[in-house]
Amino acid sequence: MIPPRSVAAVTLAQTVALVPPLAVLATTATGGFALPLFAALAFALGWEGLFALMRKRAPEAHGITTALIVVVLAPADLALWQLGFAVSLGVILGELVFGGRGFGFVSPATAALSLLVISFPQVELAQPTRDLALATVPGLVLLLVLGLISWRILVAVLVTVAVAFALRGAAFDPAALGTALAFGLVFLICDPVSAATTNAGRWVYGALAGALIIVFAGDNPITSEAVVFAALMSSVFAPLIDHLVVLAHTYQRQNRHV
Amino acid sequence: MRPRFELAEGDRVAPGQVVFRDRARAEIAFVSPVAGVVSDIAYGPRKTLSACIVTTDDSAPGDAGGSAPGDDDPAAIRATLLERGFWPAFRTRPFGRMPAPADRPDAIFVNTAQTGPQAPDPRLILAPQTEAFHHGVTVLTRLTEGEVFVCQPPCAPLGPQNDRIRHASFSGSRAAGLASTHIDRLFPIRLGRRVWTIDVQDVAAIGHLFLTGRFHADRVISVTGPGSDQTRLIRTSPGAKIADICGPLDGPALSGDATSGKRAAFLGRFDTQITLLPPAKPTKRTWFRHAAKATHAAIPTAALDTALALDILAVPMLRALSLGDSEMAERLGCLALVEEDVATLTRRCTSGADYGALLRGVLNDLERDAP
Repeated sequence: MIPPRSVAAVTLAQTVALVPPLAVLATTATGGFALPLFAALAFALGWEGLFALMRKRAPEAHGITTALIVVVLAPADLALWQLGFAVSLGVILGELVFGGRGFGFVSPATAALSLLVISFPQVELAQPTRDLALATVPGLVLLLVLGLISWRILVAVLVTVAVAFALRGAAFDPAALGTALAFGLVFLICDPVSAATTNAGRWVYGALAGALIIVFAGDNPITSEAVVFAALMSSVFAPLIDHLVVLAHTYQRQNRHV
Repeated sequence: MRPRFELAEGDRVAPGQVVFRDRARAEIAFVSPVAGVVSDIAYGPRKTLSACIVTTDDSAPGDAGGSAPGDDDPAAIRATLLERGFWPAFRTRPFGRMPAPADRPDAIFVNTAQTGPQAPDPRLILAPQTEAFHHGVTVLTRLTEGEVFVCQPPCAPLGPQNDRIRHASFSGSRAAGLASTHIDRLFPIRLGRRVWTIDVQDVAAIGHLFLTGRFHADRVISVTGPGSDQTRLIRTSPGAKIADICGPLDGPALSGDATSGKRAAFLGRFDTQITLLPPAKPTKRTWFRHAAKATHAAIPTAALDTALALDILAVPMLRALSLGDSEMAERLGCLALVEEDVATLTRRCTSGADYGALLRGVLNDLERDAP
């Protein structure tokens, strides 16, 4: 398969990967599903259009992935204005102030969800179901094949979490772990823009994200909040990790003997 | 490069005759590869040379030749190469420039391992001129105190056996045929090391010159690409007009391979391949397309990680190049690169930036600051 050669193609691939989780949400949602989806899309694309107008650029639609991820993890009973608030903040602070998709250092969906939880303490994110986790798999495969997520991060997160469970002597249920992690891991932690960009850095980044998930979850089962905040914190540290990898690599290059 | 012409428009020229010299370094001569008439001289900004066109005509006599130049004295060899127009065949690393006349490299790399798709097979090209190639490599050993590396496909050594000549085999993807890969594996650029590179056919031409005293500029190149009905090898001269080689063109032509080739009307000095593209579809220029030329971000995909063949961190490097951060680019190892090495990066990156041009800008900065 040809790797995507434009940012629009990357967004398209990520949107396609998000379709099965969204379909699961559509079939299982108890409240209205269309209205939050429409509102989130309208806010995300609206801000993007406004910024495009201000900057005299061609309109783009990268906000679509932000909106879809937020809708999947937002609680069913969330007020529309709260959803709009979170999406607006995420899209603007996560990427538009930096110049658009790919220029920021945090995934806008991660920013939106963490700001939602910080701003409204009573709000609890939707916890992933087994169906949602299974529906993530086709997208995971697609993104892996296209090279849009790194298997190193996946492995590092899973191994770290599993080791932490083993050390703690807690009952270890791979199915429950997969359910809790799958969606956030693929669409938040592995986001190519906010993750580390060197292969060595990806191992460290994944391990950090896994450790933070365990820290944030505490003694409780892993929740969406833990995954979202782990994604936020580790993406804040990703540039530092890359910087250290570059330093180590430069040192190694200079001391090569050929 | 600013030229000083020895001939004027309308003058006849024989193959191997000096047409112009570098104004700043008059030892370096540029010769005509063919017989004909100097029909057009065009200047670019600040009196740099833009084009010098020689129209061939068959009536002109061939190279009168003369006695073979001596090949014992290194200074004499250097003078012969400079005067007979072979100096521009060399490229320095770092920076990818024509070397200064007094420059002494620490090693010379002969690239006999073009592995790009449909590149001409050097074994086929060398078969009829083995003696000339061997002699050419021997002459190169007089230019350096170090070694001459012959990088070749996996087969019996193509060059002569000598304790100053090392053979190394490379095979694999396009990157295995790039001189940067060879240098990085055998004699990496660092601590003021200077390396020259030269193409196999130039070495054979140098050998021919020192054996017979005759100028022999013919190149075997391959014509490939989706716009050509079959891949074929053609004997032509460097700098030939692509339309003359390939006949009437339906679409654009690249001088070079499909990855690093540039759209051109004439065959490039270092190119051994012409890639013909299918005719471009007419596109409507709407306001949307017009506005869509805005800059995009580089999304770090897995395809970028493997875009640079050397042990160089691709994404930090492309960021340093995009920012023009020459200090960081140098620390990441950009001195080992020239434009052809980052062509894959340009193709695979979502930003649409031309990393070859960005790399040249960074190399210019570093060269200016170099001691």
